[in-house]
Amino acid sequence: MSIDILIPLLAATVQSGTPILYATLGEIFTERSGILNLGVEGIMITGALVGFLVAKVTGNPWIAFCAAGLAGASAASLHGFVCLVFQGNQVVSGLALTILGVGFANYLGTSYVGQSAPGFSRLPIPFLSEVPFFGAIFFNQDVLVYITFVIPVVMWLFLYNTRFGLNVRAAGEYPAAATAAGLNVVACRWLGVLAGGFLMGLGGAYLSLAYTHLWTNNLTAGRGWIAVALVIFAFWRPGRAVFGAYLFGGIMAMQLRLQASGTPIPSSLLLMLPYVLTITVLVFSSWRRGKTDEPAALGTNIAPAD
Amino acid sequence: MSGTAVIRLESISKSFGDVRANHDITLEIHAGRVLALLGENGAGKSTLMSMLAGQSRPDSGTIYHNGSPVVFSSTEKAIEAGIGMVYQHFKLVEAMTVAENVFLGQSDTTWLKASRMAKVVSDLAALYGMRIAPDALIAHLSMGEKQQVEILKLLFRKSNILIFDEPTAVLTPHEAENLFATMRQMKAAGKAIVFISHKLEEVMSIADDIAILKRGQIVGVMPASQVTSTAELAERMVGREVLLQVDHQPLEPRQQVLRVEKLQDEKLHEVSLDLRQGEILGIVGVAGNGQKPLVEAVCGLRQPVKGNITLLGMAWKRFFSQRSGDLTLSYIPEDRQGLATCQGLDLLDNFLLTTRDTFCSGPWLPRTEAAEKARHLITEFDIRPPKLNALAWQLSGGNLQKMVLSREFYRKPRLIVAEQPTQGLDIAAAEDVWNLLLKAREQAGILLITGDLSEALALSDRIAVMFAGRIVETFSRNDTEMVDRIPQMMAGLA
Repeated sequence: MSIDILIPLLAATVQSGTPILYATLGEIFTERSGILNLGVEGIMITGALVGFLVAKVTGNPWIAFCAAGLAGASAASLHGFVCLVFQGNQVVSGLALTILGVGFANYLGTSYVGQSAPGFSRLPIPFLSEVPFFGAIFFNQDVLVYITFVIPVVMWLFLYNTRFGLNVRAAGEYPAAATAAGLNVVACRWLGVLAGGFLMGLGGAYLSLAYTHLWTNNLTAGRGWIAVALVIFAFWRPGRAVFGAYLFGGIMAMQLRLQASGTPIPSSLLLMLPYVLTITVLVFSSWRRGKTDEPAALGTNIAPAD
Repeated sequence: MSGTAVIRLESISKSFGDVRANHDITLEIHAGRVLALLGENGAGKSTLMSMLAGQSRPDSGTIYHNGSPVVFSSTEKAIEAGIGMVYQHFKLVEAMTVAENVFLGQSDTTWLKASRMAKVVSDLAALYGMRIAPDALIAHLSMGEKQQVEILKLLFRKSNILIFDEPTAVLTPHEAENLFATMRQMKAAGKAIVFISHKLEEVMSIADDIAILKRGQIVGVMPASQVTSTAELAERMVGREVLLQVDHQPLEPRQQVLRVEKLQDEKLHEVSLDLRQGEILGIVGVAGNGQKPLVEAVCGLRQPVKGNITLLGMAWKRFFSQRSGDLTLSYIPEDRQGLATCQGLDLLDNFLLTTRDTFCSGPWLPRTEAAEKARHLITEFDIRPPKLNALAWQLSGGNLQKMVLSREFYRKPRLIVAEQPTQGLDIAAAEDVWNLLLKAREQAGILLITGDLSEALALSDRIAVMFAGRIVETFSRNDTEMVDRIPQMMAGLA
């Protein structure tokens, strides 16, 4: 493969991996606090639509991007209410949130299908984008991609080097121990749910504001589910999530290019690739179970104090 | 006792429904002294301490802290007053390091520096003579080390009243010695210590004052120096003479029911033993020396990798593939609440868990018939409360164990594997269990796995000592020379 095919392919890999990366990091953060949120798909598409609409109305993509994060956090707060206030079943609540979010976005979005909104465009970083090979792949992107270079580092610092991160992890590992240490576990989990939802919303907004610049229904197309699987692949570690997201981004970018090149492989088979990879990745990850940082209390509710 | 008490409980009462858990309790806790709270299971020790720890509030009565009345409305309030509890089930995050657990909820700075945390924790540990690596993961520690972390947590938050809820139940004898050494150091540092236990020897060796709790009431408080013997304590605790010796008559061993030949896997090395109907073979050893894999192999929970197991004359594979009602093997697991019973089911359903085959007619399960049988057993085994619809979690440890035994013996097993059958039970309940096992021996061969030497000596016809996955030695209970050497064998010195 010659270098002038490879570089654009890898640059596209980073771009299509970015929304998944946002969502995966969000889900990692939420799950670290002990809450399993299967509503990623619904939260992402809510963020995508809100971002798109706000950009259309205000014309300012930054306001739109932040609004999408807030929309994601509010959608996630529904899940928080069910699980943290009413001790509802986390799996069912998450699934319901996905169905609700997708339905909501398609219902409100149908009239905007095909319309465009102002978004983010390429912003090469001076000097860094000149670096041979890597510059063109990583530093000739839009600013939202650059943000994802920082988030995993910040999240790692937060989780492992601050007392708040310690509290959040304790809430996910063994809530009784956190309570015995005088912590408010419910508050720690709310933080996990809301901050995670915020990131998922941003991931959705990346799709409508930077990836496509226009609205189509089902814009997320299962990326939220891939993020859920990637959390397992990433062993719940922010750093590994970057690898996973780019792996999927690569597959998606490649199958698009293959389709465009008129390969004899049927397109429906190519479209299946990311999901085949999802299953493969999950099988691979469960082989190495025990080395993961899976929170021990993931998916369990906290019984209210009597 | 001298000086003012750091904590004074006055006329504390607490009821749950009709049950009077604590009634009119007055008790003082002094700095620099160890108060042992002695009582049977269900005597109200845990209820009393949970009120001190702020987990529940008394119905009536007052708690005084340094002379002034306080209300511990939450655990945080109790923590602020300097009360720290070492729970029986550790409240530690397994996936975190020792230092992280100690600092959890206690750090006042935003940034946590691993090196600084490690230094603080190891300095604190050294101060009280504990040796622990601050950056070790909790999951990699032994029970004794985990308990040290629990203690470090309390010391770090400057608790000066430390409550230990049956701390030695999970420890090896050596670890228990270390714990007592730490307790003495804390005592010397002026901390008040409450030690909840029903192990009399331990109470005698560590306590300065002893309070005996019986059916929710204090029946005696005395300085330990006034107590002459453990027998005296035991008598005051259960209110009747305890026969710590059960009547053990040798039976004629009959047909072989279990034969293990050179069983070997990653945790076992050439384990061989045999067991006949009419005898109890006691496997003694410190927990974690291969007892678990041995039990799991014998009970069909894990396939033997190398070596043979013959049960009731049948090869392992054949026995577990065509196990029928009359060839019964009974497993009485250590984990009564998890493996043996379903906590949310009532006694009848729990009874049917392993006996259902004897009642089934076609696809139907005649519950009335089963209920009648179960009611008989409840009376025969004196299980309380004597109600079929009581849920398993509502029973005390001793009654739950009796329920499990009654169920297993009902099946008329010919091979019984009993794992730590009296762990956590009070003396009266333990004695009942011992007598039941001795009775069952007439019909079956019993493999008894225990960490309690006195239990093994009281019950076993033969004793096998396990260490590091090997059977060190197997000998008769009457072989006094070998019996004297058991502690050395358990420690791997023989």
